[in-house]
Amino acid sequence: MSATLGFGVVAACALLSAVFVVRAVDLIRAVLWLGITLVATAALYAMLGASFLAGVQLLLYVGGVMTLMVFGVMITRRHEGIAPTATDTVRPVRGAVVAASLFGLVAAAIVNTDGLDEAPARALRPLTLADLGRSILVEHVLAFEALSLLLLAAIIGAVVIARRRDPGPLDEPTEASR
Amino acid sequence: MTLSHCLLLATALFSIGVYGLLTRRHAIAVLLSVELMANAANICFVAFSRFRGGSGQLFALFALALTVAEVAVGLALVILLYRSHRDTRIDLASEMKL
Amino acid sequence: MTRPIVLALVGLFAPAAAALLLAVAPALRRRGAPAAALTLLGSVTSFGAALLLLADRLHGGPAALATVPWLRSGDTVIAEIGVCADGVSASMLAVVTLVALCVQVFSLGYMHDEQPPSFGRYFTYHALFLFSMNVLVLAPNLLQLFGGWELVGVTSYLLIGFYFRKPSAARAAVKAFWVTKFADMGLLFGLFVLFAATGSFRWDAHLAPAAATAVTLLFFLAVVGKSAQFPLHVWLPDAMEGPTPVSALLHAATMVAAGVFLIVRANPLFEQSETTRNVMLIVGAGTALFAACLALVQSDIKKVLAYSTCSQLGYMVAALGAGSMMGGFFHLTTHAFFKALLFLAAGSAIHAVHSNEIDDMGGLAKRMPWTGAAFVIGALALAGIPGFSGFFSKDLVLEAVEHRLGHVPWIALLGTAFLTAFYMGRVVVVAFFGAPSGEKAAHAHEAGWSMRGPLVVLAALSLLGGAFTAPFTRLHGEPYALHLGVGPVLAAALALGGFALAYRVYGADRRASPALLEGLSKAARSRAVNRLYEFGFHRVALVVSSGLAWTDRYLVDGLINMIGYETLEGGRRARPLQTGLAPDYVLAVVLGVVGLAAWAVAQ
Repeated sequence: MSATLGFGVVAACALLSAVFVVRAVDLIRAVLWLGITLVATAALYAMLGASFLAGVQLLLYVGGVMTLMVFGVMITRRHEGIAPTATDTVRPVRGAVVAASLFGLVAAAIVNTDGLDEAPARALRPLTLADLGRSILVEHVLAFEALSLLLLAAIIGAVVIARRRDPGPLDEPTEASR
Repeated sequence: MTLSHCLLLATALFSIGVYGLLTRRHAIAVLLSVELMANAANICFVAFSRFRGGSGQLFALFALALTVAEVAVGLALVILLYRSHRDTRIDLASEMKL
Repeated sequence: MTRPIVLALVGLFAPAAAALLLAVAPALRRRGAPAAALTLLGSVTSFGAALLLLADRLHGGPAALATVPWLRSGDTVIAEIGVCADGVSASMLAVVTLVALCVQVFSLGYMHDEQPPSFGRYFTYHALFLFSMNVLVLAPNLLQLFGGWELVGVTSYLLIGFYFRKPSAARAAVKAFWVTKFADMGLLFGLFVLFAATGSFRWDAHLAPAAATAVTLLFFLAVVGKSAQFPLHVWLPDAMEGPTPVSALLHAATMVAAGVFLIVRANPLFEQSETTRNVMLIVGAGTALFAACLALVQSDIKKVLAYSTCSQLGYMVAALGAGSMMGGFFHLTTHAFFKALLFLAAGSAIHAVHSNEIDDMGGLAKRMPWTGAAFVIGALALAGIPGFSGFFSKDLVLEAVEHRLGHVPWIALLGTAFLTAFYMGRVVVVAFFGAPSGEKAAHAHEAGWSMRGPLVVLAALSLLGGAFTAPFTRLHGEPYALHLGVGPVLAAALALGGFALAYRVYGADRRASPALLEGLSKAARSRAVNRLYEFGFHRVALVVSSGLAWTDRYLVDGLINMIGYETLEGGRRARPLQTGLAPDYVLAVVLGVVGLAAWAVAQ
């Protein structure tokens, strides 16, 4: 009972803050609302028995990604503030219709699926941290290594994309090249 | 708290993300919406792992790392966009039109 | 490796080494004289090897063959490459290298006024030609022969177009190349048929009658092109645009004889088809008579000799068609000597008076006794006056042809003998006797020994070539007896009559134009065969191809263009869909997802 109550609170927090994320006019606020959603999700993870993942979520997302986002907003924000968006009536309605129909369809599918909430045939052994570690570094070590390579590529890619290029010597033909 | 509850919550979060993706015009806001959607997907992984077993948590962990990479590259693109347009509204960037 | 093989390889590669060295060392080539020295060295070596090889063959012994695998398919060797030193190749090699050597020595004097770079280029081409010809002559199978055949075609193109700044020379080179290349398709397709039928390129294969006829007829097409037989003879007179020594070597003595050599080489195949041999007999005899008629009315000394070459090649083809390999081949040999002699003597005269027209010459025998004597000996040998080499070879030819196809080819060849004597008599009388017709002719003088020496050698061979008849036939394993039948005696009498008539007509008036020849002259000027090709080209090929072009342009291209236009139009209509705005794309993606979800739920 208390679990259901807890889930209800966490879900309500997550959904509400998610709505604020997509509705907030000020980007900084949107980022902060996203933080609340992520924290709520971390709580949900913990309730689902994935405490390690909850920790990672807090560290990586709330600690890392959020900070990055705030930096991004601040770097790109113009000093005169964001120009007020032109009032657009079609776009929110269209988005709401599409999102609602998507939710309706998937929710219908979930509800209509039989036996989703039945207990599994054999009792599940809770996944321990040791299991997770063994799984990562023994069974799925190749995927793990591939992922680290991907992260490296992302770092380099991000640096290359965002690097400020000095147009001088590259664009101007030099005396020697003439 | 059952599997279908978790899935419904994830679906709702995902749909909110889709709404944000379709309505927001600022690149960073779009990125935030994408984060919401990724988060929803991760909830599904963990929920299935909890109620059905399997290596869902592992997937969630990998997905987290992927999301971080995506955010890094996405933000770099936003900065680039800002540098070339002095603005971060994506509906102003129509370079993809030939 | 046995002695004959070594000799054959030396004969093959000596000119190749010279050509290769000159090709990769421009400094050597552009200086001129070193190029000539190298080429001559290669030719002398090649000739020495050929002589030793011939002596070796004359002493008997089995044919020597040395090959290495060339084309492989899996474990089977399709074709081999190498040298074949038998009687046929040994005698041909000796003839080719001897004439080439004479011509090259002659060229030293004749081409002396050329700039050093083009002098060097000339001799490089000569070395390349000799190598190509030796590849052809020494080929152990028909595929390698085809390779040599194409190589001599290329060198012929290069040498005809030697004065490439002259538009007519460039055109003549292209024309010779195209015409012979068209004919070469016959050899190529013949090789395909031969390989399909026997799985090899051997010339001694046994074929089914139909296949034998197909193969030999296709081969004969190539012969008609290369040896300038009617109706593909049109390139040879134009090829006279090349330097005169080139005309002597390629377009009289050796390269054009390659066609005849092919028949000699592939004689075992040709013997299997009666049909092809009859075709050869008709084409050969017809060409002999036809070309002799055209030679009557030419005023350019080289054109006379060119048509004469066509005519004599017709003799050879007719002899081979009559089944006398010996007659055809021996006439090839003697013809190589006396026709090269005639061309070189003509070249000497041209060199002296700077004109090809016989009307510009006159009285040259007095001013240039060596040249005059050489030309007269060549003319007598060509006409087949008893005692000269041409008499013995014509004897063999006429003997073989006499009873074939109801005597018709025989009569044509006898008529040719008469005409040959008449046109040669005309040239001799007009160009070498009588009074000089101009300043240049009056002050003509003999050139140096480099030009006179080859004339002497070739004149001796033309005079005494008949003595080689017996050894020559022995080389090919046939007994020889001088027949002196009706044909040769009649031919000799007709030849003497031809000379007498020519002296009567032209001795009195060098510009005489008998009424009988007037019509012929008009016909020759009309260039009927060339016109026929031009007509065929303009009226048939061009009309057909413009029809095809119309179909291509308006139907095929039209369809393609319509598809392209409709695509463009469709794209233009679909263009507003592409806004370039990321949110619109995201909307499309999400709508797709919603659609998929709806489909999945509906399932």
